[in-house]
Amino acid sequence: MSSVKRIGLPVVGQDGPDDAPDCRGADGRRHWRSLEEWSEGAAAAKAEFPRGAAFLPEALTRRGFLQMLGASAALAGVAACRPPRQEIHAYVRHPEQALFPGNPVPYATALARHGHAVGLLVTTVDGRPIKVEGNPDHPESLGASGRLEQATILDLYDPRRIEGFTARKQPKAYRTLLRELATVAATHEKDGGARLRFLTGATGSPLLLDLRRRISERFPRARFHAYESLTEEATADGARLAFGRALDTRLHLDGARIVLALDADFLSDGPSALRLAREFAAHRTPGPDMSRLYVAEAHLSTTGAAADHRFRMKPSEVLGFARQVAAALASSQGLGDLARIAGDAKPTREASAVAEDLARHRGASLVIAGPRQPAAVHAIAHAMNAALGNAGKTVDYAAPPTEEPAGPRQLAALAKDLAAGAVETLVITAWNPVYTAPADVDLEALLTKVPDVLYLAYRPDETSARATWVIGESHPFETWGDARAHDGTVSIVQPLVQPLLESISEVELLAAFLGEAEKGAYQLVQDFWRARSGAGAAFAARWGTWLAKGVVEGTAAKGEAPTVRFADVAGAAGQPPPKAEGLEASFVVDKLDDGRFAENAWLLELPDPITTISWDNAAMVSPRTAQELGVETGTRVELRLRGRKVDAPVFVAPGHADGVVTLPLGWGREAAGPTATNVGFDAGALRGSQAAWIEPGLALAPFGKRKHKLVQTQEHFSMEGRDLALSFDARAWEEEGPKRLEHLRGAVNAMYSPFGYDKQAFKWGMGIDLAKCTGCNGCVVACQAENNIAVVGKAQVARSREMHWLRVDRYFSGPPENPEVVSQPLMCVHCEAAPCEYVCPVNATVHSDEGLNEMVYNRCVGTRYCSNNCPYKVRRFNFLEYQKGKAPLEKLRMNPDVTVRYRGVMEKCTYCVQRIERARIAVRASGQNKIPDGELQTACQQACPSQAIVFGNLADPESRVSKMHQDERRYDLLHFLGTRPRTAYLVRIRNPNPALSA
Amino acid sequence: MSVDTKRHAAVVNRVDPLEPVPVLVGRPDDRELNQTLFAPVWAKTRKGWLVLFALALALTGLLFTAIGYTFAVGIGAWGNNIPVAWAYGIVNFVWWIGIGHAGTLISAILLLFQQKWRTSINRFAEAMTLFAVIQALLFPLIHLGRPWFAFWLFPYPSTLGVWPNFKSPLLWDVFAVSTYFTASLLFWYVGLLPDLAALRDSSKSHAKRVVYGIFSLGWRGSARHWRHYRIAYLLLAGLCTPLVLSVHTIVSFDFAVSQLPGWHTTIFPPYFVAGAIFSGFAMVLTLIIPARKAFGFEHVITEKHLENMAKVLLATGLMVAYGYLSEHFIAWYSGNKYEQFVFWNRANGPYAPVYLLMLFCNVLVPQIFWSGRARRSIWVLWIASILVNVGMWCERFVIIVTSLHRDFLPSSWAIFKPTVVDWSILIGTIGFFGLLFLLFLRFVPSVSASEVKELRRELEHEAAPPHPVERAAR
Amino acid sequence: MSVFRPRSNTIFRVVLVLLAGGAAATLGGLMGYARVPAGTGQQEEIQQPVLFDHRHHILDDGIDCRYCHQTVERTATAGIPSTAVCMNCHSQVWNRSPRLEPVRESYFTGQPIPWVRVHQLPDFVYFNHSIHVNKGVGCETCHGRVDQMPAIVQVQPLTMSWCLECHRNPAPNLRPREDITVMGWQPEGDPVALGNELMKRYDVHARTSCTTCHR
Repeated sequence: MSSVKRIGLPVVGQDGPDDAPDCRGADGRRHWRSLEEWSEGAAAAKAEFPRGAAFLPEALTRRGFLQMLGASAALAGVAACRPPRQEIHAYVRHPEQALFPGNPVPYATALARHGHAVGLLVTTVDGRPIKVEGNPDHPESLGASGRLEQATILDLYDPRRIEGFTARKQPKAYRTLLRELATVAATHEKDGGARLRFLTGATGSPLLLDLRRRISERFPRARFHAYESLTEEATADGARLAFGRALDTRLHLDGARIVLALDADFLSDGPSALRLAREFAAHRTPGPDMSRLYVAEAHLSTTGAAADHRFRMKPSEVLGFARQVAAALASSQGLGDLARIAGDAKPTREASAVAEDLARHRGASLVIAGPRQPAAVHAIAHAMNAALGNAGKTVDYAAPPTEEPAGPRQLAALAKDLAAGAVETLVITAWNPVYTAPADVDLEALLTKVPDVLYLAYRPDETSARATWVIGESHPFETWGDARAHDGTVSIVQPLVQPLLESISEVELLAAFLGEAEKGAYQLVQDFWRARSGAGAAFAARWGTWLAKGVVEGTAAKGEAPTVRFADVAGAAGQPPPKAEGLEASFVVDKLDDGRFAENAWLLELPDPITTISWDNAAMVSPRTAQELGVETGTRVELRLRGRKVDAPVFVAPGHADGVVTLPLGWGREAAGPTATNVGFDAGALRGSQAAWIEPGLALAPFGKRKHKLVQTQEHFSMEGRDLALSFDARAWEEEGPKRLEHLRGAVNAMYSPFGYDKQAFKWGMGIDLAKCTGCNGCVVACQAENNIAVVGKAQVARSREMHWLRVDRYFSGPPENPEVVSQPLMCVHCEAAPCEYVCPVNATVHSDEGLNEMVYNRCVGTRYCSNNCPYKVRRFNFLEYQKGKAPLEKLRMNPDVTVRYRGVMEKCTYCVQRIERARIAVRASGQNKIPDGELQTACQQACPSQAIVFGNLADPESRVSKMHQDERRYDLLHFLGTRPRTAYLVRIRNPNPALSA
Repeated sequence: MSVDTKRHAAVVNRVDPLEPVPVLVGRPDDRELNQTLFAPVWAKTRKGWLVLFALALALTGLLFTAIGYTFAVGIGAWGNNIPVAWAYGIVNFVWWIGIGHAGTLISAILLLFQQKWRTSINRFAEAMTLFAVIQALLFPLIHLGRPWFAFWLFPYPSTLGVWPNFKSPLLWDVFAVSTYFTASLLFWYVGLLPDLAALRDSSKSHAKRVVYGIFSLGWRGSARHWRHYRIAYLLLAGLCTPLVLSVHTIVSFDFAVSQLPGWHTTIFPPYFVAGAIFSGFAMVLTLIIPARKAFGFEHVITEKHLENMAKVLLATGLMVAYGYLSEHFIAWYSGNKYEQFVFWNRANGPYAPVYLLMLFCNVLVPQIFWSGRARRSIWVLWIASILVNVGMWCERFVIIVTSLHRDFLPSSWAIFKPTVVDWSILIGTIGFFGLLFLLFLRFVPSVSASEVKELRRELEHEAAPPHPVERAAR
Repeated sequence: MSVFRPRSNTIFRVVLVLLAGGAAATLGGLMGYARVPAGTGQQEEIQQPVLFDHRHHILDDGIDCRYCHQTVERTATAGIPSTAVCMNCHSQVWNRSPRLEPVRESYFTGQPIPWVRVHQLPDFVYFNHSIHVNKGVGCETCHGRVDQMPAIVQVQPLTMSWCLECHRNPAPNLRPREDITVMGWQPEGDPVALGNELMKRYDVHARTSCTTCHR
């Protein structure tokens, strides 16, 4: 502790100095409450160092120790006046290292979405969280992190965040708020909370569930309603149907050789996407245990792009296909149980082939049903897995945290009460229900019937506009709590920083209804777990390890393989699918989740993995359907579904099923900030509560002459017959694959004898395995976060000036109605003979003795000659001052180790040189000259769920990257130019079923 | 003028059979030459001149507004992007540099080859060169992302302890172009001295005497002066001759040295130089035809001159055409699909119209000069010369933008769309060029009187015995 | 008659010389300015909030640099001592001195002492103390005879070429690690031999790759 005081670092949770300033005023928190005061702190710091704080964003930081003192002036204030000081444990590294200025320290925490947690390590520098990584010890992360986890850090520093609290239009101080909440609660006590309702999101948090239980005890007649627009009701119903009770389905791909995905985008969507991507990729290299993936889906998803066979069909046809497979399994594979389910279905050639493959791998195959499919499909999947003996091996089941799934049903119940005017106080902790509610539930109007609407809001939005109490919500990185992963593993959520703006968390809000808010979240979560663990005295130590590891050991739910009730499944499966007239509307989740990321500029600019559309969503149709309807990409159309209508631009998507319109959710916000308002269209406005995902009877009518400008980061999808992103069929590869790569690798003639890189202790290089890459784009966001890469906005992207150092190129081959897809992550390949270098007139881009192609921003005058001469076009130019006009809050996010580029300067991937230098200095200062393989990772490598990207030292023959460079699948991009890139690619191998490929 | 026309009539009846179209019509004596050639300087400012000047001034204003805006917001003001990181900026640069070739060629090389017909157009051409190079020199500066660091391109002992990269063609440009500018300036100025002195002596007002006096560096026309003058002029001519070839060769290296298909080719140096002379002569014609009409220089700038220039256009035009041909052939012959694609893309890609316009202007149009009537028809010449200039601009656009916008990886292909600022700068430089030229016409004799006088004497010696009229004049 | 007198020639020549000379002088002047203390900010006395005298603390009290600049061997920044460090001694000695009022105030209010930065590098330069100290570059090499400074001044130009001198040829600036903080250190024996020996002992490389300092 004394050390803290000595250096005065803003380390969250350290006890403040005993002589901390006492804060006057009703609320004990005035010290850091307002952003003004905050920036005053910064201003003071600035005064101390002439060219300090408010200069370049990066200048806020790494200005050495003096600045530390300055910043801590602000933060010490922060530290002083929160409810009792808390303790925090740095992950693995010695705690005192945390106190060194400018040294990054990772802390373990967890991030829950829709009630499912992913364990994270969040790097903080000088008390500011700046980068998210996955927690290797967490079962659903395994060290990986997706684009949404990565992007969460940006929301933390969003200047549009709600600060403080307003009750009935009156600003309230923290303690006043708690007092008034207590009184509100008290008024409901007499009638047992008959007129008290809670509208929450899905949650698995043991603490929150416990709080709900205790609130229900205090107010027996109060009700909790859980609503998620991305509902998994069908999934739950499917389990009930098959097993007679609610069960979570947990997939294990590492054992699965044959996988059939029924409209399931399991690689990029769902609670276990990160783990599944890892397990899937582990078996995509040629060999006996190479897996085969069949996907039946309507729109081309990343999973579909990774498939060996992709069956294009309407979502409503998936049920029929499932029954055909079941039929084939029953008839030719002798799985009698499935006969009844199959009913009269006649297996097609595809279905029989799939069935045969599945049956040949009993216990090592897996049938996955997507959450968008009706209960029957889920039930059939369960039945097939049971019949194939997969249950307990590649899939098992466990009790969910809550019986009834969050979704429209629960919302409907609430809506009834609201309509009846039976509700006096409605507490909303769900995210923006007015926007996410189904179109046939007019929550907006219903809320007016409620005298007191309490809304825990992160930003002003559609719902906060109708709430009478708007309560600022803390960011998940600012508060204590706990969260449950899909497999049941619980993590303690620990804050990385004190709330930057005054706000409280859901835990604290609910606690207020038990009169315990004063305790603060830390006390609540610790008390709960002390009681739960029953460890008594040993608790403190255990608590410590939980925080350090990021998981609470032994909380993973036990898996089971219950018996399937084939009769019931057959009953449900037997019902014919609804007769489809007109087009079929198919709602999908994309990068904005249910819309809660709609104001995240990183994600808005992030190109869609398949269409590469940036800053927009679009109604996607197949080329044939487009032709029939007389529309093309960009045509503005009016979509009508059951009297509901919305205007949208069309995108003609390759690989899309005919007669279906795919509608991505989460866009077209009305009351969002300037970045997100009216960006894209709100597909949710077409959605009814009965059919949340798939509904027939959609009408599409083009209107207007003017087209809508859809901007894409990649406009040309063909490889033009060039050897760029290569893929082979397993059979072809076995025969003569390696031979076909000979001209794409090996030594090239050079006029000058190359520099002697082999004398160096470090020889940096990278390997990218196209067989593992799913094209999820997680790496792109990770790179953006690590390297302070600017967001440029739609207009600039339209001029093709996006700044992403790392882009994922995507090429289609084969017939446009169902093409093969290859994704190729491409960043600077650090050519040993780099064309960019010799043309720069001022030596602003040169080569390091360790093989890095260095870009020196401060020397660059911006001739852009290097970009012209770069065959890979991976260089990015600051055509305008893209980093201008950042709010003080935003500046806090910048990575202090990376220079923020000024306009007129070229930039590009550096192989995360800041990480390299930090690691090198660490080892060399301590006398050695070796960095253990895997210890030093680039941002993209660290994020990648499928471990497709490997970076390391080529001078070490044992390193993973060296082995990749030796791999027989290795080839160099544009090898014939003789640039000798340090990034090697491994060709993608497909594993088609011979029975079908013939 | 009356005297002149009489004399004109006088000579018509003694046409030299070997030289039907003379390089000098009649045998005007020194005084008359001074009168006619200095007339534009001494005469009152004409209304036509004022109108043109106002227009040029407006366009110059536009130019510097556009440049100012670019400096304020950055290169983003232009249409450039990744992959097309170079566009109008460099297109204009190469175009103007090319135009700036005729002058030195005419003055230096033709001087060394003692071509009589250069005499009365050389100053004109040199001035044109100078002003074109000034336009060109703007671009290396304004196309920088951070122009305020432009001085880093010069090798000076800095406290950074780093030097410019001498391997970079852009650095070679800096030296090549600045050298060329300096040499052309000196050459032009030295050539001016005798006339400046003549102006000084023939000027009425004291102020003008002083001004022209200072600039004529105390020229008194003594034998000694003439001797030194001759030597200096020849030396400079010798110095400039290699420059004519070197400048555009080096400019072409910007492209030839890179590895981009469509740029990376060894034909560039010769074909750039040919193209440069091509466009240079075209520009001289474009300017000189109206000028000689306006100032009544028909007797010194005769059809002979125009015809010869037309011939040069035809010759260089053919060279350029050959350049195109060999480019395409080599691309096909190389068997490299990236190379082949670029040239296929020129003719079939989104920028095909520009490519076709280029072929029309640079390859087809000059063919008309096979006919002597076309060569001697003022209008044909003038329109053709303008088309050639357009064509040469298109050539640079095709080389730079079309090669860049679709290179190795289809994933990075993109379209370049010029912005208002791009256009303003292009048009603005034309205005600025015109502005300088109008000033030149107004305040400096646009035809070298002294050299024309020499020429006359040379002609007389050839046509000995001296004609009685001549003797009378002495 | 001419408008020019004979002396106009002289005037003309003088003017020419002035023009040429003036241009040359301006350029030369600028280049010079970048090198003299006025331009590099050397030898500049800076008013600190507390009259802290390094001379006294090092010579009279014999305090090692690292007692206050604690993190110099472990992090990028050498570390400006927190007020608490001052108070370790000054709670006992001079604890009534009015000169130390700002220190006590800082200690009790929790507000930092607004020291003024003396050695300032541009934001795009990433200097790391720990690696330099651990490879045998003494404090004195860059910061000069701090033991003779009543108030800290910047003694070295801190220009890039100055950094490069050593980065290109470190040997002359190396000393045994144990003497890192010694002021006025002189090598015994042959300095060249020692330099080369230390290069080996500490495995010192001449690092001139741009990303060594610019990231």
